[in-house]
Amino acid sequence: MFVLLALHLLIGVGIVASGDRLGRRAFAVAALAPLATVVWAITQADAVLDGRPVVVEVTWVEQLGLGLDLRLDAFGLAMVALVSGIGFLVCVYAVGYFSHPKQGTARLAGLMTLFAGAMLGVVMADHLLALFVAWELTSVTSYLLIGNDDRSPRARAAALQAILITGTGGLVMLVGIIAVGHTAGTYRISELLADPPSGGVISGGLVCILIGAFTKSAQAPFGSWLPGAMVAPTPISAYLHSATMVKAGVYLVARLSPIFATTGNWRLLVLVVGATTMIIGGLRALRQYDLKLLLAYGTVSQLGFLMLLFGTGQYQIAQAGVALLLAHGAFKAALFMVVGMVDHEVGTRDIRELHGFGSAWSPTLVVGVLGAASMAGLPPLFGFIAKEKALDGYVEHGDFIGSGAIVIVIVIGSILTFAYSARFVLGLFGVFGTDDADPRSRAAHAPSVLFLAPAAVLTVSTVAAGLAPVLVDRLVRASTLALQPGVTPSPVELWAGFNTALVLSLIVISTGLVLTAYRVPLGRLQRRASDAISWIPSAEQGFLACLRGMTDGSKRVTALVQNGSLPIYLAVIVTVAAVAPLIPAVSVFPSLPKLIDAPIQIPLGILVVVAALGAAVVRRRIAAALMLGAVGYGMAGLFIVQGAPDLALTQLVIETLATVLFVLVLRFLPTKWADRSPAIARPIRIGVSTLAGVSVFVMALVSSAARDDVAAPNISEEMIARSAPDAKGNNVVNVILVDFRGLDTLGEITVLLVAAVGAVALARTGRRRLIPGRREQGHARPDQGAGS
Amino acid sequence: MSQLVPLPIVLPLLGAALSVVFGRWHGFQRLVGVVCLSTSLVISIVLLVAADDTGFVVAQGGGWPAPIGISLVVDRLSAIMLVVSAIMLLAVLVYAIGQGEVERVHAGFHPTYLVLAAGVAASLLTGDLFNLFVSFEMMLAASYVLITMGGRAAQVRSGMTYVVISLVASTFFIIVLALIYSATGTINLADLSERIPELSGEVQLMFAIALLVVFGIKAGLFPLFFWLPDSYPTAPAPVTAIFAGLLTKVGVYAIIRTQTLMFPIDARPATLILVVAALTMTVGVFGAIAQDDVKRILSFHIVSQIGYMIFALGLFTVAGVAAAVFYTFNNIILKTNLLLVAGLVERRGGSSRLSEVGGMVRTAPLLGLLFALPALSLAGLPPFGGFVAKFAVFDAGAWSEQWVLVGVAAFVSLLTMYSMTKIWAGAFWGEREEEPSGRPEPGGRLGGPVLMVGSTAAVVLVGLAVMIWAAPLYAFTERAAVDLLDPSRYVEAVLGERP
Amino acid sequence: MSLLIAFVASMLVGCGTWLLLQRRLSRIIIGVGLLGHGANLLLLVSGGRRGTAPLIGVGDAADFADPLPQALALTAIVITFGVTTFLLALGFRAWQISNDDVVEDDVEDRYIARRAQIDREVADEIEAERAQAAEEDRR
Repeated sequence: MFVLLALHLLIGVGIVASGDRLGRRAFAVAALAPLATVVWAITQADAVLDGRPVVVEVTWVEQLGLGLDLRLDAFGLAMVALVSGIGFLVCVYAVGYFSHPKQGTARLAGLMTLFAGAMLGVVMADHLLALFVAWELTSVTSYLLIGNDDRSPRARAAALQAILITGTGGLVMLVGIIAVGHTAGTYRISELLADPPSGGVISGGLVCILIGAFTKSAQAPFGSWLPGAMVAPTPISAYLHSATMVKAGVYLVARLSPIFATTGNWRLLVLVVGATTMIIGGLRALRQYDLKLLLAYGTVSQLGFLMLLFGTGQYQIAQAGVALLLAHGAFKAALFMVVGMVDHEVGTRDIRELHGFGSAWSPTLVVGVLGAASMAGLPPLFGFIAKEKALDGYVEHGDFIGSGAIVIVIVIGSILTFAYSARFVLGLFGVFGTDDADPRSRAAHAPSVLFLAPAAVLTVSTVAAGLAPVLVDRLVRASTLALQPGVTPSPVELWAGFNTALVLSLIVISTGLVLTAYRVPLGRLQRRASDAISWIPSAEQGFLACLRGMTDGSKRVTALVQNGSLPIYLAVIVTVAAVAPLIPAVSVFPSLPKLIDAPIQIPLGILVVVAALGAAVVRRRIAAALMLGAVGYGMAGLFIVQGAPDLALTQLVIETLATVLFVLVLRFLPTKWADRSPAIARPIRIGVSTLAGVSVFVMALVSSAARDDVAAPNISEEMIARSAPDAKGNNVVNVILVDFRGLDTLGEITVLLVAAVGAVALARTGRRRLIPGRREQGHARPDQGAGS
Repeated sequence: MSQLVPLPIVLPLLGAALSVVFGRWHGFQRLVGVVCLSTSLVISIVLLVAADDTGFVVAQGGGWPAPIGISLVVDRLSAIMLVVSAIMLLAVLVYAIGQGEVERVHAGFHPTYLVLAAGVAASLLTGDLFNLFVSFEMMLAASYVLITMGGRAAQVRSGMTYVVISLVASTFFIIVLALIYSATGTINLADLSERIPELSGEVQLMFAIALLVVFGIKAGLFPLFFWLPDSYPTAPAPVTAIFAGLLTKVGVYAIIRTQTLMFPIDARPATLILVVAALTMTVGVFGAIAQDDVKRILSFHIVSQIGYMIFALGLFTVAGVAAAVFYTFNNIILKTNLLLVAGLVERRGGSSRLSEVGGMVRTAPLLGLLFALPALSLAGLPPFGGFVAKFAVFDAGAWSEQWVLVGVAAFVSLLTMYSMTKIWAGAFWGEREEEPSGRPEPGGRLGGPVLMVGSTAAVVLVGLAVMIWAAPLYAFTERAAVDLLDPSRYVEAVLGERP
Repeated sequence: MSLLIAFVASMLVGCGTWLLLQRRLSRIIIGVGLLGHGANLLLLVSGGRRGTAPLIGVGDAADFADPLPQALALTAIVITFGVTTFLLALGFRAWQISNDDVVEDDVEDRYIARRAQIDREVADEIEAERAQAAEEDRR
């Protein structure tokens, strides 16, 4: 199986790397990967359908529980049929669709192959984290595919919206997966199925996982990205945003429901969300004029339907889910392809601009009508069988609270589905065409055979599966078994006898017909109703509000903390440095030590403090520099008193040098300065400085007093002891500097040299502008120094 | 083996000296730089293998036994940091040579860069608190010179902020050092590890927090990071890349080292670290979202990701510390990588502002790939190394049941992804909205000079290698974490068998 | 450590901080200098006792002042001096460019702070797109 995934990666990267050289032929190359997968799947099919899954166990980072275990069981096989089967057909279709390839068309093919590989990973993964890896890859490739026409701001916005919503879901899901995996002790789906865990953390984790699934499958209230994603070219929409990627959430729910349906609020959550989505999607679809958007909202509605079927944990209902999954994949992809052909040949998808087609279009129209009929659930098509099974499952086996309400939801949803299917067909035939538009569609070229073939293949399979359900019976039953081992799924039949489900179907069809007949007044009514509730924020507005809140909020926070002012930064840093360690220190403040060590310290101390205060307050630069020098000399005195003549000497030399340098530089600057700071600055400065001083004072005394707690002598004792005998030096300080701690001195010299190099380089950068009288010029040409 | 330990410090310093002496022969300077850093890399790898074999390789400076001399210690943490930083230093040097701007114009570039390399190595190797200060100063002094190289107005302005704040931080370091010595009578880390537990709990906590603040300024923790996004982006591209990759992470290294080695478990300010981590993550990423300039966006992300490392560290479990180490070295690679790409984008588009560049997926597709891989990894998207790192952090958080922080980290991760898409959509998609402020340079088929693109690609490959060999690498960091959480091994390795 | 030394050190740090928080680089540098003096003083006295110069043979080793902090302080002084010199050069360069030594606020940060309210965002783009679609729908 890894070979297949690698093949997808290889072909995908290869196509992307080849740039635009391949043009639309890139899709022919891209078709190889799904074709190989289909062939491989067929060879494995027999064993898999008999309940012997193909398993590959791979660990990635074992210590973290990160594994990439793959497992192809019957349900996985059904998904592979969708992913790779439809993938192959879409690739063939795309060759016809992109008859005039633009820049970036070949890239679409490459990205699509990469996506197909990722999607295969989702449906083959047996490890929740492996599933997550593939899941996120589908999000990323979807982002790149939606935004591939990168010059269109609309495409970019839609791509962003898609990845933000699915990305959020993905991250929430990751947290959920970790929570579940940690509690259960395994991330393997098959092991979870064998031994379902439970508990508070699990319930919380499951909600997180469900949010991930809902975002991916465009469930309310996270569905707003899917209609936007329709800016992508039609083959992409047909593949990602109808047949495969959006099914990932449904797939995950299908996998986990048998394990978790009765844990926490799983079932309730799935059913409420699924029901809402099914109804809202259907209502929205009814209002669309763009055929593609109509199908998109129809997809949303059907995804809600699938959630209702898979989320119960009842295998009889899940069986209907498997059937609907396959049926939907077949008819929806075909319908998208039809829309793509119309768009490609006529140049519009708006049903108000369609006025019927010439006779050469008949095969295309047949494909469209049959697809829509299957979508509407008309016998004897596959869609009908799936819906019958669903109704039957709920009516006969729905023994949990609320199952009756769900039956009503399904019926209403199906009526809406019938109505928008009818709208699709009528639109295709030009019933909505306005008089003033120019009747381009009549004159349009009919699509070529190759262009039509993939849709035709799908339609044939829809019809065949409807007339002879035995074709899919084994797959559906084995899939149900794979989801929930040990059950006995019923056969899939076209005629299941005269039962409640059939009655409900008849109600659906007749009501749907009425809705279609009275579509004009009903449409007006619907618009009025939607206007009336327009004050309720839509999910779309919610998303935008979040996005705006996030960007605005981060700007405010940033404008506040990152204000660009050095004094403010320093004030914050000093305050933190002074206060944070002070808090634990205060409680152990010791009794005060003796005031002085030697009397001479008093005048020296006074000198240092007075000079320091002077440096702080004088308003002449040179005077301040001299004050600093005075502090330094006072320090040297203190050093001598402390018993450090070497240090005092160094201090004197350095201080003298520093003062000279200061004076050299400062003479360029104005002698005085004006304080332009706001009034508030002064008390803040005083406060922070006091805090810093107090903090140092307290901490110094605390540390000094703490020396009594440590028994061991200062390490310098040993240095003194070994200085003369081992290092052959009598001046211990020197020995330490050049021998014991020579590395420090090496570093010190390096710092000095580097600083000198840097200082000289800086000084030389501006040398040319040091000509007297031309100083002002520097401001006008600040960048000139860059090249000197 | 222990004779090799000082070489990653001494070799670059020697090279720097040669580079200064033969400053007029530019080709020679280049040769010296590349040879020195390559040799350092090889030695670092040898040390890594040795350290993983025995746990520790110790060299006593000047042959004086600790604590008289300065101990240089290679353990698993310092070894992996050493290797990763050596790779980055070498790659960025090659990149700088390919770019040729600052590297060619300033004779001081090569020696300064080598001193930076020596400073980084010394900071990682030293087992002495004061020598850590000196090593930091070596690294910082070199960084001051590099960041202002060119002397443009923006550089001087931000250079002042950078130098002043670093200098203040260094002064704090000396103060804290003085306090620690006055309380314990030693500055050898292993020695401190034995003596500090004898102090009262409050004093221990005081020192732990004080050191956290000191290194927090260098690492860029909230609320001490404000200087960072202002100063890094103004430097020449290779300099920004190496700063972004290495300098802050050396600060993080110092935090990991000092907190685990010096302080017993109950004296570590774990809760404080976790709170600071959460704030660092969020405020950093908010800053990134607010920016419009590639280099600035990435600079804010440096901060945000430091939060992840500190979060994992603050758990003080084997899983947490392992995750912190893994995240840290992986982040060095990613950050260097992204800023190298940012440099290429700036060169190709004439600006690093998103409104002034665009459409590079068409004009320079290779740059798009070189950006996309590390960007996805940085955003923590699977299956890249960044995902493993992020997952390790989440996993460690889950073990410690820090669900709130895991949630914050997930949220930040989302925002990180958002700002990566912002760069992608701004620089690689669409058209540029405004004229670039600089002059775009044609990049040819590769999108830039061969050496620049090549070294960037090499770093991308290193990032991918982390993904492929995530398992052994993580196992390695786990071993490192076990060592870190049991300081007695370190102490024994440095001070010898104790009665 | 005597109370006086602790007081002097804390005064140095306090005055240094006051100067640090100013806008003139020359004052900031002086502030850094004062801070450094405070730190070095603390470092020097961290050995714990006053004593005679640690010269073997000159006095009794038991009376020596602790030599290690002296060595450390010496290193620290030289390093601080080196970096301060560089900072001076930077100030000099700043004066060349702007004829002043005021540390200006970061331009980019100010830019972000200013445009916080007026920025045109992706959200607006999406919303405009949707509004247009809704308009078409009504038609």
